[in-house]
Amino acid sequence: MSRRINSYIVTLILSVGAITMMTPMLYLISYSLRSNGAIYQFPPTLFPKLSEITFENYEYVLSDNLGLFTYFKNSIVVGVITMILIALMASALAYVLSRFDFMGKNILFSLIIATMVIPGLGLIVPQYQIAVKLNLVNTLMGLIPVYTAWMLPFSTFMMKGFVDNLPKELDEAAHIDGASTLHVYFKIILPLMKPAVAAVSIFNFLASWEEYGWAQTVISSEHLRTIPIYIAGFFGRNNFTQFGYIFAISFLSLIPIIIVFISFQKYFITGLTAGGIKG
Amino acid sequence: MKKHANGILAIIMCMLLVTVMVGCGNEKASDDTESVSNGNGENVELDTKAEETDTKAEEADTKAEEPEEVKLVFWHHYNEQSNENKVLMDVLIPEFEKENPSVKVEAVSHDWADLHNKALVAATANNLPDVIRVDSAWIPEFVDAGMLQSIDQEYTDFNEVKDGILEGPMDTAKVAGHYYGLGLNTNTKIMFYNTKLLKDSGVDLPKTLDEFFMAATELSSNDNGQQIWGYGEPALSGWNVLPLIWSNGGEILNSDNTMASGYLDSEQNIELLKQLVTLKEENAMTGFNSGDIPMTDGFAQGRYAMIIDGPWKYAELKGGHAEFTDYAATTMPAGKGGSIQVLGGEDISISINANSDYAWKFVKFMTSEFAQVEMGKVGQIPVSKKALENPEITAIEDFTVFLEAIKTSRARPAIADWSEVDQQINDAFTAALLGVKSPADALTEAAKMIDDILDKK
Amino acid sequence: MLLSSIDHELRCRMLNSNLINKKKMNISKDKIQIVLLFLPGLLFFALFTLYPIYKLFIMSFFEYQIGSKGNALFVGFENYISVFTDGVSQYAITNTFIYGLITVPSQIILGLLVAVLINSMSKGQVGFRIVYYLPVITSWVIVSVLFKYIFQNEGYLNYVIVNIWEITDLPVKWLETRISSLLVLSIIGTWKGIGWSMTVFIAALTSVPKELYDSAKVDGCNALNRFFYITLPSIKNTILFSMVMLTIGAFNTFTPVKLITNGKPLHQTEFILTWMYKNAFEFRNMGYSAALSFLVAILVSAITITQFKLLGKK
Repeated sequence: MSRRINSYIVTLILSVGAITMMTPMLYLISYSLRSNGAIYQFPPTLFPKLSEITFENYEYVLSDNLGLFTYFKNSIVVGVITMILIALMASALAYVLSRFDFMGKNILFSLIIATMVIPGLGLIVPQYQIAVKLNLVNTLMGLIPVYTAWMLPFSTFMMKGFVDNLPKELDEAAHIDGASTLHVYFKIILPLMKPAVAAVSIFNFLASWEEYGWAQTVISSEHLRTIPIYIAGFFGRNNFTQFGYIFAISFLSLIPIIIVFISFQKYFITGLTAGGIKG
Repeated sequence: MKKHANGILAIIMCMLLVTVMVGCGNEKASDDTESVSNGNGENVELDTKAEETDTKAEEADTKAEEPEEVKLVFWHHYNEQSNENKVLMDVLIPEFEKENPSVKVEAVSHDWADLHNKALVAATANNLPDVIRVDSAWIPEFVDAGMLQSIDQEYTDFNEVKDGILEGPMDTAKVAGHYYGLGLNTNTKIMFYNTKLLKDSGVDLPKTLDEFFMAATELSSNDNGQQIWGYGEPALSGWNVLPLIWSNGGEILNSDNTMASGYLDSEQNIELLKQLVTLKEENAMTGFNSGDIPMTDGFAQGRYAMIIDGPWKYAELKGGHAEFTDYAATTMPAGKGGSIQVLGGEDISISINANSDYAWKFVKFMTSEFAQVEMGKVGQIPVSKKALENPEITAIEDFTVFLEAIKTSRARPAIADWSEVDQQINDAFTAALLGVKSPADALTEAAKMIDDILDKK
Repeated sequence: MLLSSIDHELRCRMLNSNLINKKKMNISKDKIQIVLLFLPGLLFFALFTLYPIYKLFIMSFFEYQIGSKGNALFVGFENYISVFTDGVSQYAITNTFIYGLITVPSQIILGLLVAVLINSMSKGQVGFRIVYYLPVITSWVIVSVLFKYIFQNEGYLNYVIVNIWEITDLPVKWLETRISSLLVLSIIGTWKGIGWSMTVFIAALTSVPKELYDSAKVDGCNALNRFFYITLPSIKNTILFSMVMLTIGAFNTFTPVKLITNGKPLHQTEFILTWMYKNAFEFRNMGYSAALSFLVAILVSAITITQFKLLGKK
């Protein structure tokens, strides 16, 4: 009996918290269903009157000539490639750092982690200069290396812990059977790391999906824009800002991420479990 | 032992590779100057004598070949969703491309602040676009950074073109005797007022600054906790306070733009600031705090009786508050110095990395009567003398007051460190208005800081 | 019997020596393969992170104005001294530090609480996980715009307080003083981050072996004690990891501050990144920004190392 009451109480508390979490989102959805000027009304209302509800914002942003799908495609391409690159490189790095000892290993690892504390803002200028030298400016390929380098330390950190928890006997058994290091890595360790890889990939996809500063600096052509750049274009400085459109696009851009989250989240849990977190 | 070597080997190889790649990149840059220049992603050789902007431009000129199709990159900050952008993309660019069949124009819209930052970053790698629409306030800064071509020295038909453009806007592109762009559109600020509020409180339309301050107080009220402020000002930067300072007969810097002490902290300015402080204390003025109601919304809801802003206000009001029509506009109230407004506006400039000939053609096109009239029809006040006489422009009611005001507008000081100076002015006014410092102290201290800033260069 | 065990011994020894031989052979082949695995990641990292950091470090000793000329005046430690003496950076660092002090523990405690509660549910876990994770995946820009509208003088919150609940007559000026602005920003930061730490903790909690709980229950431990004596110690490393990541995140806060107060009034709500941005792009003082970056990096490293020492391995 008390179990049941307990679970009701728990559900209640969580629901109250959930409503608090959701309220700004409700605001977003609510205003995306009203005309652009509605947000300037006073007094502000959270829920629109039924007569106010309109899908015109969604119709507008989804209309063909705006090319919303192009921008979605760009963001997805960049996100997926970044995700895959980091998955490969960070896991390899994590494997080597975890399994092999060499002089300077600790320094290297600390270095990788330490670079996370430098604010990325200052690095834009040097990174841009490198991108120009490599002819990567104004290309989607210009976004990917920087995003990759940016999320690499965190991913490596997380995955190293995971590999640390995989028993070394597996490696040794394989070595006895004559397997080379590459073989051990690709055929044995990597499959076992799937959960960690999935977990880290969600974070990486999200980070790349939302990133604005570097994208804005590198991308100049309209057809190469990513979603954050596109949304920013709706903020008027001297024209009034059309929040209806902004909220509509923002809502739509949540959908891919939620899909990614839901599909990966079962791995997600198991992955983080055995990550550097348990120790 | 062998295991240790692996790690060190890896690290050393990485460093070597990085150095090689970066070094190779440098060579690539110098190779590229041979090939076709196309203004986008193109690396122009960095001339060590960076001061010679004309020699640099000349080099780019002579090395540029005329290929089959030229791409011209144009960075601007017409808002993506705005009518100006539509006119640009659907009317102007196709027309230009028709007249110049071998050219394709790629126009990229940016947010105002983003364009500024991006141009600066692009400049560090000499990767600027061919043509940039530059806010007139940025010109001194960009020139100091060596980013723009000095047009009067580059193109022989410059003087002809210059004569066709209003002098005030053209001068916003002038630094140390040279012109770094053409005026593209101009704007200034005028006073918008709520006709209903004025009528209801029996206040006459203020014509002088003194009347203005009195009106602000009389128009303010607080019924049922609903505060109405007589005067709303969204910020306290130069763009906002200079009109008041200048109209009041004050100055901020000496004529050389080398000193602020004695000017910014003059008696007139201190008096003016005291007036504003009084207004604030009487709840007759607000708008510059983080939590305040935004100008347009506040004005449309009748919370601000008078605001001072530019031509975009019409578009904003029609767009977001179409039901509100009880307003009109007039020129700034006149003070001891007259009715002096701040001259804003944008110029169109050619970067040092540009494909010069075609860039110049495009720039001339954008300041031609045709382009200016088309843009004028969507709210961009033209600077071309011919366009201003064009019947389509003279018919636009919204422009009348502005064109009047522009005649007596002044541009902000053309100094490279304007942003820092501006910040000091902003901080001084804010400190006084929030009661943190006395007006005299605020201005005197700010003047000293500005002196230091100006001394540094 | 003896013979067979000796035989066994001998065979084991032979096997071992074979193994050792094989290992030695594989090592030389391995060298190349190891380097192969290592290199791509390291290369990316070196080129796009280490090299820019190195360049930034050099920049901090120059007065470098961004632009085409690339003029750089060597000024030694002047930039660093400026950071210490100019009044604003002190505000910036203090504000960011206070923000971190409020948001990091809040996110950890609340995230842990939510994680524990969700974990204890038998159904409906996924739904709650998604809802709590939603703020995390919403862009900072949208979040800032929304919250600004809520906390403005005539925003939604004041409307409720003044007009609906009628607590006070005058609207509360949430965004006009340093303390209340910091509070608002902290609320936003915490709100946005709870979902992240919650997810991290749910993972950690599911890895605590059930036997520990079961044996504790048998010993008569109640729920609260179980939490404090079993759960917490088991996830100590998760807490440490979250603390480090959240601290780094807190010090990198930029968008909400820029969009909501932008340092007003009078730079009292500046954060490190907004002040850096202003100096780099508005005042074109790249050298100063670089120096500020490194000083902050040192500060954050110090904090992180302290966290490691306090919560590190037993």
